[in-house]
Amino acid sequence: MITVDKLRKEFKKTVKEPGLKGSVKSLFRPKSEKVVAVRDISFEVAEGEILGFIGPNGAGKSTVIKMLTGILTPTSGSCTINGKNPTQNRKSYVKEIGVVFGQRTQLWWDLPLRETYGVLKEIYEVPDDRYKKRMAFLNEVLELDDFIASPVRTLSLGQRMRADIAASLLHSPKVLFLDEPTIGLDVVVKDNIRKAIEHINRQEKTTVILTTHDLADIEQLSKRIVMIDKGTNVFDGTIASLKAKYGQIRELSFETASPNAAEALGYDRHFSLGKDDLSVETEGNSVKVRFNSSVVPVSDMLSYTLEKINVSDISVKDADIEEIIRRLYGQGVE
Amino acid sequence: MKNIKRAFRIHRIFMAQEFKRMMEYKGDFIVGIISFFLVQLSNLLFLWIIFSRIPNLMGWTVNEVVFIYGLSLIPKGIDHFYFDNLWSIGFFIVRKGDFDKYLTRPVNTLFHVLTEKIQIDALGELIMGVALVCVSVQGISAQWDVFRILAMILMIPFITLIFTGIKTITASVAFWTKRSGNVIYMFYMVSDFAKYPAAIYNRFVRNVITYIIPFALTSYYPALFILRGENPLFNLGMPILASVVLMGAGIFVWHRGLRAYESAGS
Repeated sequence: MITVDKLRKEFKKTVKEPGLKGSVKSLFRPKSEKVVAVRDISFEVAEGEILGFIGPNGAGKSTVIKMLTGILTPTSGSCTINGKNPTQNRKSYVKEIGVVFGQRTQLWWDLPLRETYGVLKEIYEVPDDRYKKRMAFLNEVLELDDFIASPVRTLSLGQRMRADIAASLLHSPKVLFLDEPTIGLDVVVKDNIRKAIEHINRQEKTTVILTTHDLADIEQLSKRIVMIDKGTNVFDGTIASLKAKYGQIRELSFETASPNAAEALGYDRHFSLGKDDLSVETEGNSVKVRFNSSVVPVSDMLSYTLEKINVSDISVKDADIEEIIRRLYGQGVE
Repeated sequence: MKNIKRAFRIHRIFMAQEFKRMMEYKGDFIVGIISFFLVQLSNLLFLWIIFSRIPNLMGWTVNEVVFIYGLSLIPKGIDHFYFDNLWSIGFFIVRKGDFDKYLTRPVNTLFHVLTEKIQIDALGELIMGVALVCVSVQGISAQWDVFRILAMILMIPFITLIFTGIKTITASVAFWTKRSGNVIYMFYMVSDFAKYPAAIYNRFVRNVITYIIPFALTSYYPALFILRGENPLFNLGMPILASVVLMGAGIFVWHRGLRAYESAGS
Protein backbone atom coordinates (compact mmCIF):
# COMPACT_ATOMS: atom_id res chain seq x y z
CA MET A 1 0.00 0.00 0.00
CA ILE A 2 2.57 2.56 1.11
CA THR A 3 6.21 2.01 0.34
CA VAL A 4 8.80 4.40 1.67
CA ASP A 5 12.22 3.81 0.21
CA LYS A 6 15.39 5.49 1.47
CA LEU A 7 13.60 8.76 1.93
CA ARG A 8 15.97 11.64 2.64
CA LYS A 9 15.51 15.34 3.20
CA GLU A 10 18.24 17.90 3.59
CA PHE A 11 17.68 21.53 4.47
CA LYS A 12 20.04 24.38 4.03
CA LYS A 13 20.22 26.37 7.18
CA THR A 14 21.78 29.80 7.34
CA VAL A 15 24.06 30.15 10.30
CA LYS A 16 23.89 33.49 12.06
CA GLU A 17 25.88 34.89 14.88
CA PRO A 18 23.64 36.13 17.68
CA GLY A 19 22.24 39.64 17.88
CA LEU A 20 21.65 42.40 15.41
CA LYS A 21 25.32 42.50 14.47
CA GLY A 22 25.21 38.85 13.50
CA SER A 23 22.08 39.41 11.43
CA VAL A 24 23.65 42.28 9.54
CA LYS A 25 26.82 40.29 8.98
CA SER A 26 24.89 37.35 7.58
CA LEU A 27 23.05 39.68 5.24
CA PHE A 28 26.32 40.47 3.47
CA ARG A 29 28.20 37.24 3.97
CA PRO A 30 25.65 34.48 4.41
CA LYS A 31 26.95 31.24 5.80
CA SER A 32 24.90 28.13 5.48
CA GLU A 33 25.20 24.55 6.50
CA LYS A 34 23.46 21.41 5.42
CA VAL A 35 21.10 19.82 7.92
CA VAL A 36 19.89 16.30 7.32
CA ALA A 37 16.38 16.16 8.76
CA VAL A 38 15.52 12.71 7.47
CA ARG A 39 18.22 10.18 6.77
CA ASP A 40 17.30 7.41 4.33
CA ILE A 41 14.21 6.11 6.05
CA SER A 42 12.45 3.04 4.68
CA PHE A 43 9.30 1.29 5.81
CA GLU A 44 6.10 -0.18 4.46
CA VAL A 45 2.51 0.05 5.53
CA ALA A 46 -0.11 -2.51 4.60
CA GLU A 47 -3.64 -1.68 3.57
CA GLY A 48 -5.95 -1.12 6.50
CA GLU A 49 -3.12 -0.85 8.99
CA ILE A 50 -2.88 1.87 11.63
CA LEU A 51 0.75 2.79 11.98
CA GLY A 52 1.95 4.74 14.97
CA PHE A 53 4.75 7.00 13.94
CA ILE A 54 6.62 8.29 16.94
CA GLY A 55 9.82 9.99 17.96
CA PRO A 56 10.97 12.88 20.14
CA ASN A 57 10.45 16.49 19.11
CA GLY A 58 12.63 17.37 16.17
CA ALA A 59 13.20 13.74 15.19
CA GLY A 60 11.89 14.35 11.68
CA LYS A 61 8.37 12.95 12.01
CA SER A 62 6.63 15.93 10.48
CA THR A 63 9.21 16.14 7.72
CA VAL A 64 8.50 12.52 6.78
CA ILE A 65 4.74 13.12 6.89
CA LYS A 66 5.16 16.21 4.74
CA MET A 67 7.10 14.25 2.15
CA LEU A 68 4.48 11.50 2.18
CA THR A 69 1.72 14.03 1.66
CA GLY A 70 3.47 15.78 -1.22
CA ILE A 71 4.17 19.00 0.67
CA LEU A 72 7.95 18.64 0.67
CA THR A 73 10.02 17.32 -2.19
CA PRO A 74 12.46 14.64 -0.96
CA THR A 75 16.17 15.26 -1.55
CA SER A 76 16.41 11.62 -2.56
CA GLY A 77 14.52 8.37 -2.19
CA SER A 78 10.87 7.85 -2.92
CA CYS A 79 7.50 7.12 -1.45
CA THR A 80 4.63 5.56 -3.31
CA ILE A 81 1.03 5.02 -2.37
CA ASN A 82 -0.84 2.55 -4.56
CA GLY A 83 1.93 2.95 -7.11
CA LYS A 84 1.50 6.73 -7.21
CA ASN A 85 4.25 9.16 -6.46
CA PRO A 86 3.55 12.58 -4.95
CA THR A 87 6.39 14.37 -6.70
CA GLN A 88 5.37 13.12 -10.12
CA ASN A 89 1.63 13.43 -10.04
CA ARG A 90 0.64 15.45 -7.04
CA LYS A 91 -2.94 16.15 -8.03
CA SER A 92 -4.07 12.58 -8.55
CA TYR A 93 -1.96 11.45 -5.60
CA VAL A 94 -3.55 13.79 -3.08
CA LYS A 95 -7.02 12.67 -4.11
CA GLU A 96 -6.29 9.36 -2.45
CA ILE A 97 -5.05 10.78 0.81
CA GLY A 98 -6.49 12.80 3.65
CA VAL A 99 -4.32 14.98 5.85
CA VAL A 100 -4.85 16.53 9.27
CA PHE A 101 -2.20 18.63 10.94
CA GLY A 102 -3.30 19.06 14.52
CA GLN A 103 -1.56 22.41 14.73
CA ARG A 104 -3.22 23.88 11.67
CA THR A 105 -6.65 23.92 10.18
CA GLN A 106 -7.87 23.77 6.63
CA LEU A 107 -11.36 25.01 7.52
CA TRP A 108 -12.69 28.34 6.29
CA TRP A 109 -12.13 30.36 9.43
CA ASP A 110 -14.83 33.01 9.09
CA LEU A 111 -17.67 30.90 7.79
CA PRO A 112 -20.06 28.34 9.25
CA LEU A 113 -18.47 24.91 9.22
CA ARG A 114 -20.96 23.63 6.68
CA GLU A 115 -19.53 25.98 4.06
CA THR A 116 -16.11 24.33 4.29
CA TYR A 117 -17.58 20.96 3.37
CA GLY A 118 -19.46 22.51 0.49
CA VAL A 119 -16.23 23.84 -0.98
CA LEU A 120 -14.25 20.68 -0.35
CA LYS A 121 -17.00 18.74 -2.11
CA GLU A 122 -16.26 20.75 -5.24
CA ILE A 123 -12.49 20.64 -4.86
CA TYR A 124 -12.53 16.85 -4.57
CA GLU A 125 -15.38 16.45 -7.09
CA VAL A 126 -17.59 14.39 -4.79
CA PRO A 127 -20.96 13.72 -6.49
CA ASP A 128 -24.09 14.98 -4.73
CA ASP A 129 -25.50 11.64 -3.61
CA ARG A 130 -22.14 10.39 -2.33
CA TYR A 131 -21.64 13.69 -0.53
CA LYS A 132 -24.95 13.32 1.27
CA LYS A 133 -24.20 9.79 2.39
CA ARG A 134 -20.70 10.75 3.38
CA MET A 135 -21.82 13.69 5.47
CA ALA A 136 -24.38 11.52 7.22
CA PHE A 137 -21.69 8.97 8.02
CA LEU A 138 -19.16 11.54 9.25
CA ASN A 139 -21.88 13.20 11.25
CA GLU A 140 -22.64 9.98 13.01
CA VAL A 141 -19.01 9.12 13.75
CA LEU A 142 -17.71 12.57 14.65
CA GLU A 143 -20.94 14.17 15.89
CA LEU A 144 -20.71 17.34 13.89
CA ASP A 145 -24.40 18.21 14.11
CA ASP A 146 -24.10 20.40 17.21
CA PHE A 147 -21.78 22.88 15.59
CA ILE A 148 -22.03 22.45 11.83
CA ALA A 149 -23.87 25.76 11.55
CA SER A 150 -21.42 27.70 13.74
CA PRO A 151 -18.61 29.78 12.29
CA VAL A 152 -15.33 27.90 12.52
CA ARG A 153 -13.69 30.60 14.63
CA THR A 154 -16.20 29.90 17.43
CA LEU A 155 -15.49 26.16 17.66
CA SER A 156 -13.65 24.72 20.63
CA LEU A 157 -10.38 22.96 19.92
CA GLY A 158 -12.01 19.56 20.26
CA GLN A 159 -14.83 20.47 17.89
CA ARG A 160 -12.36 21.97 15.44
CA MET A 161 -10.28 18.81 15.45
CA ARG A 162 -13.33 16.66 14.76
CA ALA A 163 -14.33 19.05 12.00
CA ASP A 164 -10.83 18.91 10.51
CA ILE A 165 -10.80 15.12 10.58
CA ALA A 166 -14.18 15.07 8.85
CA ALA A 167 -12.85 17.50 6.24
CA SER A 168 -9.94 15.20 5.52
CA LEU A 169 -12.26 12.22 5.09
CA LEU A 170 -14.90 13.81 2.90
CA HIS A 171 -13.46 12.39 -0.32
CA SER A 172 -13.10 8.87 1.15
CA PRO A 173 -9.31 8.73 0.99
CA LYS A 174 -7.53 5.40 1.06
CA VAL A 175 -4.86 6.73 3.38
CA LEU A 176 -5.30 9.12 6.27
CA PHE A 177 -2.37 11.05 7.73
CA LEU A 178 -2.92 12.38 11.22
CA ASP A 179 -0.17 14.57 12.58
CA GLU A 180 -0.83 14.96 16.30
CA PRO A 181 -4.62 14.74 16.12
CA THR A 182 -5.08 14.74 19.89
CA ILE A 183 -2.75 17.60 20.76
CA GLY A 184 -4.15 19.86 23.47
CA LEU A 185 -7.39 17.92 23.93
CA ASP A 186 -8.97 16.71 27.15
CA VAL A 187 -9.24 13.04 28.03
CA VAL A 188 -12.85 12.60 26.94
CA VAL A 189 -12.40 14.30 23.59
CA LYS A 190 -9.20 12.34 22.99
CA ASP A 191 -11.11 9.18 23.62
CA ASN A 192 -13.90 10.15 21.24
CA ILE A 193 -11.44 10.96 18.52
CA ARG A 194 -9.61 7.67 18.97
CA LYS A 195 -12.90 5.81 18.75
CA ALA A 196 -13.81 7.66 15.59
CA ILE A 197 -10.48 6.86 13.97
CA GLU A 198 -10.83 3.23 14.93
CA HIS A 199 -14.36 3.11 13.59
CA ILE A 200 -13.37 4.59 10.24
CA ASN A 201 -10.40 2.29 9.97
CA ARG A 202 -12.52 -0.77 10.64
CA GLN A 203 -15.47 0.24 8.52
CA GLU A 204 -13.62 1.47 5.44
CA LYS A 205 -10.24 -0.22 5.64
CA THR A 206 -8.63 3.19 5.64
CA THR A 207 -4.91 3.01 6.18
CA VAL A 208 -3.90 5.43 8.92
CA ILE A 209 -0.50 6.91 9.69
CA LEU A 210 -0.57 8.62 13.03
CA THR A 211 2.05 10.72 14.77
CA THR A 212 1.55 11.62 18.37
CA HIS A 213 3.23 12.28 21.67
CA ASP A 214 0.38 10.70 23.56
CA LEU A 215 1.27 7.05 23.72
CA ALA A 216 -2.22 6.13 24.77
CA ASP A 217 -3.22 7.01 21.19
CA ILE A 218 -0.76 4.46 19.93
CA GLU A 219 -1.63 1.77 22.44
CA GLN A 220 -5.29 2.06 21.71
CA LEU A 221 -5.11 2.36 17.96
CA SER A 222 -2.10 0.73 16.43
CA LYS A 223 -0.47 -2.64 16.61
CA ARG A 224 2.68 -1.50 14.94
CA ILE A 225 4.94 1.46 15.51
CA VAL A 226 7.79 3.02 13.63
CA MET A 227 10.02 5.12 15.81
CA ILE A 228 12.53 7.57 14.44
CA ASP A 229 15.16 9.67 16.10
CA LYS A 230 17.54 12.21 14.58
CA GLY A 231 16.14 11.37 11.18
CA THR A 232 16.78 7.62 11.28
CA ASN A 233 14.54 4.70 11.81
CA VAL A 234 15.30 3.26 15.25
CA PHE A 235 12.50 0.80 15.73
CA ASP A 236 9.95 -0.85 13.47
CA GLY A 237 7.71 -3.52 14.88
CA THR A 238 4.69 -4.34 16.98
CA ILE A 239 4.11 -2.86 20.38
CA ALA A 240 4.35 -6.36 21.83
CA SER A 241 7.79 -6.84 20.38
CA LEU A 242 8.87 -3.44 21.62
CA LYS A 243 7.81 -4.46 25.09
CA ALA A 244 9.53 -7.81 24.80
CA LYS A 245 12.72 -6.24 23.55
CA TYR A 246 12.99 -3.23 25.79
CA GLY A 247 10.33 -3.85 28.34
CA GLN A 248 12.28 -5.81 30.93
CA ILE A 249 11.96 -2.81 33.14
CA ARG A 250 9.87 -3.30 36.26
CA GLU A 251 8.79 -0.70 38.69
CA LEU A 252 9.02 -1.53 42.37
CA SER A 253 7.29 0.96 44.63
CA PHE A 254 6.88 0.94 48.34
CA GLU A 255 6.22 3.10 51.38
CA THR A 256 8.67 3.16 54.18
CA ALA A 257 9.04 4.96 57.50
CA SER A 258 12.82 4.76 57.64
CA PRO A 259 14.55 7.93 56.50
CA ASN A 260 17.02 7.83 53.63
CA ALA A 261 15.77 4.40 52.71
CA ALA A 262 17.17 4.59 49.20
CA GLU A 263 20.59 5.55 50.54
CA ALA A 264 20.52 2.69 53.01
CA LEU A 265 19.44 0.18 50.43
CA GLY A 266 22.17 1.10 47.97
CA TYR A 267 20.78 -0.93 45.06
CA ASP A 268 23.54 0.20 42.76
CA ARG A 269 26.20 -1.15 45.12
CA HIS A 270 24.46 -4.39 45.98
CA PHE A 271 23.39 -5.34 42.47
CA SER A 272 25.52 -4.86 39.42
CA LEU A 273 23.00 -2.58 37.76
CA GLY A 274 24.31 0.06 35.39
CA LYS A 275 22.87 3.51 35.07
CA ASP A 276 20.60 2.47 32.20
CA ASP A 277 19.15 -0.41 34.18
CA LEU A 278 18.32 1.33 37.42
CA SER A 279 16.66 4.49 38.60
CA VAL A 280 15.51 5.36 42.08
CA GLU A 281 13.04 8.11 42.91
CA THR A 282 12.23 9.16 46.46
CA GLU A 283 9.31 11.34 47.34
CA GLY A 284 8.61 11.74 51.03
CA ASN A 285 7.97 8.25 52.30
CA SER A 286 7.40 6.60 48.98
CA VAL A 287 10.17 5.17 46.86
CA LYS A 288 10.04 4.08 43.23
CA VAL A 289 12.71 1.80 41.86
CA ARG A 290 12.85 1.04 38.16
CA PHE A 291 15.17 -1.80 37.31
CA ASN A 292 15.97 -4.19 34.52
CA SER A 293 14.42 -7.52 35.47
CA SER A 294 16.57 -9.45 33.05
CA VAL A 295 19.65 -8.48 35.07
CA VAL A 296 18.16 -8.77 38.52
CA PRO A 297 15.12 -11.05 38.87
CA VAL A 298 12.08 -9.53 40.53
CA SER A 299 12.23 -12.04 43.37
CA ASP A 300 15.81 -11.05 44.28
CA MET A 301 14.88 -7.43 44.26
CA LEU A 302 11.88 -8.02 46.48
CA SER A 303 13.58 -10.20 49.04
CA TYR A 304 16.58 -7.88 49.27
CA THR A 305 14.37 -4.89 49.86
CA LEU A 306 12.18 -6.62 52.43
CA GLU A 307 15.22 -7.89 54.28
CA LYS A 308 16.89 -4.51 54.55
CA ILE A 309 14.11 -2.21 55.67
CA ASN A 310 10.60 -2.10 57.00
CA VAL A 311 8.15 -1.37 54.27
CA SER A 312 4.44 -1.02 53.97
CA ASP A 313 2.39 -1.25 50.80
CA ILE A 314 4.85 -2.73 48.36
CA SER A 315 4.05 -3.45 44.72
CA VAL A 316 5.74 -4.42 41.44
CA LYS A 317 4.45 -3.16 38.11
CA ASP A 318 5.18 -3.94 34.49
CA ALA A 319 6.79 -1.07 32.73
CA ASP A 320 4.25 0.72 30.61
CA ILE A 321 4.97 1.73 27.07
CA GLU A 322 5.54 5.26 28.20
CA GLU A 323 8.42 4.16 30.38
CA ILE A 324 9.99 2.24 27.51
CA ILE A 325 9.69 5.14 25.16
CA ARG A 326 11.12 7.49 27.75
CA ARG A 327 14.19 5.30 27.95
CA LEU A 328 14.50 5.02 24.19
CA TYR A 329 14.10 8.76 23.61
CA GLY A 330 16.67 9.43 26.28
CA GLN A 331 19.41 7.25 24.93
CA GLY A 332 18.59 6.17 21.40
CA VAL A 333 18.56 2.52 20.47
CA GLU A 334 21.56 0.32 20.02
CA MET B 1 -12.57 21.52 -21.91
CA LYS B 2 -13.54 19.63 -18.79
CA ASN B 3 -10.66 21.26 -16.98
CA ILE B 4 -11.77 24.72 -17.98
CA LYS B 5 -15.30 24.05 -16.83
CA ARG B 6 -13.99 22.78 -13.51
CA ALA B 7 -11.72 25.82 -13.15
CA PHE B 8 -14.65 28.19 -13.65
CA ARG B 9 -16.74 26.23 -11.19
CA ILE B 10 -14.08 26.31 -8.49
CA HIS B 11 -13.49 29.98 -9.15
CA ARG B 12 -17.18 30.71 -8.76
CA ILE B 13 -17.34 28.80 -5.50
CA PHE B 14 -14.33 30.61 -4.04
CA MET B 15 -15.89 33.92 -5.03
CA ALA B 16 -19.14 32.98 -3.32
CA GLN B 17 -17.19 32.06 -0.18
CA GLU B 18 -15.50 35.45 -0.25
CA PHE B 19 -18.79 37.33 -0.48
CA LYS B 20 -20.21 35.24 2.33
CA ARG B 21 -17.11 36.01 4.37
CA MET B 22 -17.57 39.72 3.82
CA MET B 23 -21.22 39.53 4.88
CA GLU B 24 -20.24 37.64 8.03
CA TYR B 25 -18.88 40.83 9.56
CA LYS B 26 -21.60 43.30 8.70
CA GLY B 27 -20.32 46.30 10.61
CA ASP B 28 -16.90 46.04 9.06
CA PHE B 29 -18.48 45.59 5.65
CA ILE B 30 -20.61 48.74 5.93
CA VAL B 31 -17.76 50.85 7.26
CA GLY B 32 -15.63 49.47 4.43
CA ILE B 33 -18.13 50.63 1.85
CA ILE B 34 -18.37 54.10 3.35
CA SER B 35 -14.62 54.55 3.56
CA PHE B 36 -14.33 53.21 0.04
CA PHE B 37 -16.43 56.08 -1.30
CA LEU B 38 -14.55 58.62 0.81
CA VAL B 39 -11.23 57.40 -0.56
CA GLN B 40 -12.53 57.54 -4.12
CA LEU B 41 -13.74 61.06 -3.59
CA SER B 42 -10.39 62.25 -2.30
CA ASN B 43 -8.63 60.49 -5.18
CA LEU B 44 -10.84 62.31 -7.61
CA LEU B 45 -10.03 65.62 -5.98
CA PHE B 46 -6.34 64.85 -6.10
CA LEU B 47 -6.46 63.97 -9.80
CA TRP B 48 -8.42 67.08 -10.58
CA ILE B 49 -5.73 69.18 -8.90
CA ILE B 50 -2.97 67.45 -10.86
CA PHE B 51 -4.64 67.63 -14.24
CA SER B 52 -5.84 71.18 -13.87
CA ARG B 53 -2.17 72.21 -13.55
CA ILE B 54 -0.88 70.44 -16.64
CA PRO B 55 -2.68 71.66 -19.70
CA ASN B 56 -0.17 70.06 -22.06
CA LEU B 57 2.50 67.43 -21.44
CA MET B 58 5.18 66.99 -24.13
CA GLY B 59 2.65 67.00 -26.89
CA TRP B 60 -0.03 65.18 -24.95
CA THR B 61 -3.24 67.03 -24.25
CA VAL B 62 -4.87 66.87 -20.84
CA ASN B 63 -7.54 64.51 -22.13
CA GLU B 64 -4.96 62.18 -23.56
CA VAL B 65 -3.02 62.17 -20.29
CA VAL B 66 -6.23 61.43 -18.42
CA PHE B 67 -6.99 58.62 -20.87
CA ILE B 68 -3.60 57.01 -20.26
CA TYR B 69 -4.00 57.44 -16.52
CA GLY B 70 -7.45 55.89 -16.62
CA LEU B 71 -6.41 53.05 -18.90
CA SER B 72 -3.53 52.15 -16.56
CA LEU B 73 -5.96 51.76 -13.66
CA ILE B 74 -8.16 49.21 -15.41
CA PRO B 75 -5.74 46.23 -15.63
CA LYS B 76 -4.27 47.21 -12.29
CA GLY B 77 -7.74 47.16 -10.75
CA ILE B 78 -8.68 43.82 -12.33
CA ASP B 79 -5.45 42.22 -11.14
CA HIS B 80 -5.90 43.76 -7.71
CA PHE B 81 -9.49 42.55 -7.52
CA TYR B 82 -8.87 38.93 -8.48
CA PHE B 83 -5.27 38.14 -7.70
CA ASP B 84 -4.44 40.08 -4.57
CA ASN B 85 -3.70 36.88 -2.66
CA LEU B 86 -0.19 36.80 -4.14
CA TRP B 87 0.78 39.48 -1.66
CA SER B 88 -0.04 37.11 1.19
CA ILE B 89 2.21 34.49 -0.38
CA GLY B 90 5.06 36.99 -0.31
CA PHE B 91 4.41 38.24 3.18
CA PHE B 92 3.25 35.30 5.29
CA ILE B 93 1.66 32.22 3.75
CA VAL B 94 5.00 30.65 2.81
CA ARG B 95 6.88 31.94 5.84
CA LYS B 96 4.36 30.51 8.28
CA GLY B 97 4.02 27.19 6.51
CA ASP B 98 0.37 27.79 5.69
CA PHE B 99 1.12 26.93 2.08
CA ASP B 100 0.91 23.23 3.09
CA LYS B 101 -2.85 23.36 2.64
CA TYR B 102 -2.65 24.12 -1.06
CA LEU B 103 -0.26 21.27 -1.69
CA THR B 104 -2.58 18.68 -0.20
CA ARG B 105 -5.49 19.57 -2.46
CA PRO B 106 -6.05 18.24 -5.98
CA VAL B 107 -6.09 21.69 -7.53
CA ASN B 108 -3.26 23.52 -9.25
CA THR B 109 -1.62 25.49 -6.46
CA LEU B 110 -1.18 28.71 -8.41
CA PHE B 111 -4.77 28.60 -9.59
CA HIS B 112 -5.95 27.92 -6.05
CA VAL B 113 -3.97 30.82 -4.61
CA LEU B 114 -4.98 33.23 -7.36
CA THR B 115 -8.69 32.52 -7.20
CA GLU B 116 -9.17 31.95 -3.50
CA LYS B 117 -9.55 35.57 -2.45
CA ILE B 118 -10.92 38.75 -3.92
CA GLN B 119 -10.09 42.28 -2.91
CA ILE B 120 -13.15 44.45 -2.99
CA ASP B 121 -11.14 47.68 -2.56
CA ALA B 122 -9.85 47.18 -6.07
CA LEU B 123 -13.23 48.18 -7.45
CA GLY B 124 -12.17 51.74 -6.65
CA GLU B 125 -9.32 51.64 -9.15
CA LEU B 126 -11.48 49.87 -11.65
CA ILE B 127 -14.42 52.28 -11.46
CA MET B 128 -12.07 55.26 -11.46
CA GLY B 129 -10.19 53.89 -14.47
CA VAL B 130 -13.30 53.28 -16.50
CA ALA B 131 -14.71 56.68 -15.54
CA LEU B 132 -11.53 58.54 -16.52
CA VAL B 133 -11.38 56.74 -19.86
CA CYS B 134 -15.02 57.49 -20.58
CA VAL B 135 -14.72 61.14 -19.63
CA SER B 136 -11.47 61.75 -21.47
CA VAL B 137 -12.48 60.20 -24.79
CA GLN B 138 -15.17 62.82 -25.20
CA GLY B 139 -12.49 65.47 -25.48
CA ILE B 140 -10.22 63.49 -27.79
CA SER B 141 -10.74 63.89 -31.49
CA ALA B 142 -9.36 60.48 -32.43
CA GLN B 143 -10.79 58.23 -35.09
CA TRP B 144 -13.11 56.07 -33.04
CA ASP B 145 -13.65 53.18 -35.39
CA VAL B 146 -14.84 49.75 -34.31
CA PHE B 147 -11.40 48.29 -34.65
CA ARG B 148 -9.80 50.63 -32.14
CA ILE B 149 -12.53 50.16 -29.57
CA LEU B 150 -12.36 46.43 -30.05
CA ALA B 151 -8.56 46.55 -29.72
CA MET B 152 -8.88 48.40 -26.45
CA ILE B 153 -11.32 45.87 -24.98
CA LEU B 154 -9.37 42.85 -26.23
CA MET B 155 -6.10 44.20 -24.87
CA ILE B 156 -7.39 44.39 -21.30
CA PRO B 157 -6.97 40.68 -20.38
CA PHE B 158 -3.43 40.71 -21.74
CA ILE B 159 -2.26 43.85 -20.01
CA THR B 160 -3.84 42.55 -16.81
CA LEU B 161 -1.62 39.49 -17.08
CA ILE B 162 1.44 41.76 -17.20
CA PHE B 163 0.58 42.77 -13.64
CA THR B 164 -0.29 39.25 -12.57
CA GLY B 165 2.81 37.79 -14.21
CA ILE B 166 5.18 40.20 -12.50
CA LYS B 167 3.47 39.60 -9.17
CA THR B 168 3.62 35.82 -9.62
CA ILE B 169 7.34 35.87 -10.39
CA THR B 170 8.18 38.09 -7.45
CA ALA B 171 5.85 36.26 -5.05
CA SER B 172 7.48 32.93 -6.04
CA VAL B 173 10.79 34.24 -4.72
CA ALA B 174 9.33 33.55 -1.27
CA PHE B 175 9.65 29.79 -1.86
CA TRP B 176 13.40 30.27 -1.67
CA THR B 177 13.72 33.27 0.63
CA LYS B 178 10.58 32.55 2.77
CA ARG B 179 9.50 36.15 2.42
CA SER B 180 9.31 38.29 -0.68
CA GLY B 181 6.64 40.87 0.11
CA ASN B 182 9.04 43.75 -0.34
CA VAL B 183 10.27 42.32 -3.64
CA ILE B 184 6.70 42.31 -4.93
CA TYR B 185 6.25 45.82 -3.61
CA MET B 186 9.36 47.16 -5.30
CA PHE B 187 8.38 45.81 -8.71
CA TYR B 188 4.72 46.61 -8.31
CA MET B 189 5.42 50.24 -7.49
CA VAL B 190 7.13 50.67 -10.85
CA SER B 191 3.62 50.50 -12.26
CA ASP B 192 3.13 54.07 -11.02
CA PHE B 193 5.28 55.17 -13.95
CA ALA B 194 2.67 53.69 -16.26
CA LYS B 195 0.12 56.29 -15.27
CA TYR B 196 1.75 58.97 -17.40
CA PRO B 197 2.95 59.03 -21.00
CA ALA B 198 6.31 57.26 -21.15
CA ALA B 199 7.56 60.03 -23.43
CA ILE B 200 7.98 62.34 -20.45
CA TYR B 201 10.68 60.16 -18.84
CA ASN B 202 14.36 60.05 -19.76
CA ARG B 203 15.67 57.25 -21.93
CA PHE B 204 16.82 55.05 -19.07
CA VAL B 205 13.49 55.03 -17.27
CA ARG B 206 11.66 54.62 -20.56
CA ASN B 207 13.72 51.57 -21.47
CA VAL B 208 13.22 50.03 -18.07
CA ILE B 209 9.44 50.41 -18.14
CA THR B 210 9.24 49.26 -21.74
CA TYR B 211 11.56 46.27 -21.82
CA ILE B 212 12.52 45.21 -18.31
CA ILE B 213 9.61 45.83 -15.94
CA PRO B 214 7.28 46.62 -18.80
CA PHE B 215 4.46 48.51 -17.14
CA ALA B 216 4.48 51.11 -19.93
CA LEU B 217 3.04 48.34 -22.06
CA THR B 218 -0.06 48.34 -19.91
CA SER B 219 -1.27 51.78 -20.92
CA TYR B 220 1.05 54.13 -22.79
CA TYR B 221 1.80 51.92 -25.79
CA PRO B 222 -1.73 50.60 -26.28
CA ALA B 223 -2.88 54.23 -26.02
CA LEU B 224 -0.47 55.24 -28.78
CA PHE B 225 -2.42 52.98 -31.09
CA ILE B 226 -5.88 53.57 -29.69
CA LEU B 227 -5.57 57.37 -29.72
CA ARG B 228 -3.23 57.97 -32.63
CA GLY B 229 -3.28 54.80 -34.67
CA GLU B 230 0.50 54.47 -34.42
CA ASN B 231 2.39 51.25 -35.13
CA PRO B 232 -0.13 48.54 -34.12
CA LEU B 233 2.47 45.83 -34.54
CA PHE B 234 4.59 47.17 -31.70
CA ASN B 235 1.99 48.97 -29.64
CA LEU B 236 -0.39 46.03 -29.48
CA GLY B 237 1.99 43.16 -30.25
CA MET B 238 4.48 43.95 -27.52
CA PRO B 239 1.95 44.01 -24.66
CA ILE B 240 0.51 40.70 -25.83
CA LEU B 241 3.96 39.17 -26.14
CA ALA B 242 5.02 40.55 -22.76
CA SER B 243 1.92 39.22 -21.02
CA VAL B 244 2.43 35.73 -22.42
CA VAL B 245 6.13 35.74 -21.57
CA LEU B 246 5.67 37.15 -18.06
CA MET B 247 2.78 34.90 -17.11
CA GLY B 248 4.60 31.91 -18.61
CA ALA B 249 7.70 32.80 -16.62
CA GLY B 250 5.54 33.25 -13.52
CA ILE B 251 4.02 29.78 -13.88
CA PHE B 252 7.47 28.29 -14.48
CA VAL B 253 9.16 29.99 -11.52
CA TRP B 254 6.21 29.16 -9.27
CA HIS B 255 6.42 25.46 -10.01
CA ARG B 256 10.18 25.44 -9.56
CA GLY B 257 9.57 27.16 -6.25
CA LEU B 258 7.25 24.40 -5.05
CA ARG B 259 10.22 22.04 -5.05
CA ALA B 260 12.17 24.43 -2.84
CA TYR B 261 9.28 25.01 -0.44
CA GLU B 262 10.33 24.05 3.07
CA SER B 263 7.11 24.43 5.07
CA ALA B 264 7.56 25.35 8.73
CA GLY B 265 8.08 23.24 11.82
CA SER B 266 5.07 21.92 13.63
